[in-house]
Amino acid sequence: MTTLTLHIPTVEAGDIVLRAICEDDLDPLATFYAGARSHFVGGPLERADCWRLIAGNLGHWALRGYGMWVISDRASGDPMGICGFIYREGWDEPELGWQVWDGYEGRGIASRAARAARAHGATQFGLDGVISYIDAGNTRSLALAKRLGARFERDGTLLGKPCQVWRHPRASEVAA
Amino acid sequence: MSSYPDIPVIETRRLRLRGPEAGDYPDFKATFASYRSRFMGGPLNPYEAWMLYAAEIGHWAVRGFGMWMVHDKLTDETYGMAGGWFPAKWPEREIAWIIWPDKAGKGYALEATHAVRRHLYERQGWDGAVSYIDPKNLDSIRLAERLGCVKDREAATIDGSDAVYRHPAPAAASSGQLRDGIELEIDHYCDPTFRPKGMPID
Repeated sequence: MTTLTLHIPTVEAGDIVLRAICEDDLDPLATFYAGARSHFVGGPLERADCWRLIAGNLGHWALRGYGMWVISDRASGDPMGICGFIYREGWDEPELGWQVWDGYEGRGIASRAARAARAHGATQFGLDGVISYIDAGNTRSLALAKRLGARFERDGTLLGKPCQVWRHPRASEVAA
Repeated sequence: MSSYPDIPVIETRRLRLRGPEAGDYPDFKATFASYRSRFMGGPLNPYEAWMLYAAEIGHWAVRGFGMWMVHDKLTDETYGMAGGWFPAKWPEREIAWIIWPDKAGKGYALEATHAVRRHLYERQGWDGAVSYIDPKNLDSIRLAERLGCVKDREAATIDGSDAVYRHPAPAAASSGQLRDGIELEIDHYCDPTFRPKGMPID
């Protein structure tokens, strides 16, 4: 059997680990994309489409050299969500995105993952001062963007739908 | 040559098959924006095309096999894709192909798919395969039949709108009569003096 080996770094940040997605993540991903919270991030999606998201996530790393990780619990290994960089066709520039899967909300997981991904992107991928596209109705993600130090930049559109564009501070500004 | 050392390169008389790379995307996108793709889920908008292309690459990482990009061995120009395809919801492992609209009629799909099937059977241990084909996609049905496939009316389909063509098992696919017939046809396409009359076929 041939395997395509992708160079996806593992990033450790306290009690979470950012790691490459794999087929075993399909169950929690499909559960999330069957639920209402996925409506802010392209859902709902059927299970078969979620499988393609996993393949597409890995292909994104191959095509761009960066992408989105699964956020896993360092102690248990449980997959808890996704965080990282998205630059698909239709995006103005690379975006920092996040989603926390069912049962893991309210623990600050997205915040820690986003900070770790943002710092890694700035030093390793040359992605500094990136944007996040956020649906105006996604109050929890808007609140997180503010806590991360991002600033509202403009109203924009993504794939034909209105959204807000938030700009993250550069790594030098975060450290200062 | 390839940016994926793990994806085997397959060479045929006219073609070199490699993993799909970022630089090959524009031809893929153009084809999936065209009606050529109407039997493969298209036409797709640019976002959908990019997501499918990324998934085709990621398929290799998840499954250990996938779709190759078909290049001209001499010019490196791309002509289409062929390979193994087994995303979620597929009942069985599929051998699939697509040729760019302006490259049809030169036998590239036949040459690529014949080589891909042999690779999957002999190097990756497949014991059979199907192709899921829209009943209106006469070009692909003709190609499947030239490859020795037989319509399997009992087999599970993807969503009821596709017909299942079952490929000959490895022993039959490598047997003299079928293999010789395919290779004779490829010979004709390779022959610069070969000027077939009538409707072009893939």
